[in-house]
Amino acid sequence: MYGWIWRHLPGNAWLKALISLILALAVVYVLFQYVFPWAEPLLPFNDVTVDNQ
Amino acid sequence: MAATTDGTQHEDQRTGAPAPPPGRRPGPVALAVSLLGELLITAGLVLGLFVVYSLWWTNVLADRKADREADKVRDTWSHQETAPGGPGALDTKKGIGFLHVPAMRNGEVLVEKGTSEGVLNNGVAGYYTDPVKATLPTSGKTGNFTLAAHRDGHGAKFHNIDKLRDGDPIVFETKDKWYVYKVYSILPETSKYNVQVLTPVPAESGRKKAGHYITLTTCTPVFTSRYRYVVWGELVRVDPVDSKRTVPRELR
Repeated sequence: MYGWIWRHLPGNAWLKALISLILALAVVYVLFQYVFPWAEPLLPFNDVTVDNQ
Repeated sequence: MAATTDGTQHEDQRTGAPAPPPGRRPGPVALAVSLLGELLITAGLVLGLFVVYSLWWTNVLADRKADREADKVRDTWSHQETAPGGPGALDTKKGIGFLHVPAMRNGEVLVEKGTSEGVLNNGVAGYYTDPVKATLPTSGKTGNFTLAAHRDGHGAKFHNIDKLRDGDPIVFETKDKWYVYKVYSILPETSKYNVQVLTPVPAESGRKKAGHYITLTTCTPVFTSRYRYVVWGELVRVDPVDSKRTVPRELR
């Protein structure tokens, strides 16, 4: 998978490395901004109150 | 010299080659296994990032938000002094006061209404409106001032709740009063369905008569929310706030 992406990136090795870094940062951004905030309430790590349910 | 140059040129051409040499292409099984491996590595990295997110990044966001809200509350308080009689003496939307717990070593914690995720994720402590409504100390009535805050992430305002001991002070600061409570009972582990700890007279703490109580709840053990940790305190004193906002001796 990663090998396939690497082969399909344009440019020489330096450009490929730069694009890979930008792609990785974009993925981290999407995870932190959208995916984790959505997933967190569904996971049983952070309920602090007592309640009836 | 010429030989080395030739050599590097040769190597550059080789690494620049777009595909592995023909005849050595991996079989379908090898491809599937390497894809699976890469997916597993990716899943591990994502889980690692989730830990970073929940234990560090949510704190950064929540503290930033809580600081802003706290500034707003302090601003409102100082402005109300110059324009008395204005409405909103108790603006429950922006936070009603600050909780100071020296044993937790985390400075002041803004207190807002409600214990939903939307409130608590802003790095504040929330007072209960459900299932048992908290009695605010400002009302002057007997009852239980019940609060909840996060143990980890989102400000982690009650992270050090286990550092509290009998007799430790819990001070609640409002615009014109310091409410000084003393811890008298601790329940290190209880069911998350145990709403009895929130009742106006929390029998489980050993008290039977009506009084001015404060209850702090959060989750335990750390990093999970299997059980709840509960600390009870009782009002010992109410100090008026002077013009310099001199803190009560418990906070010095």
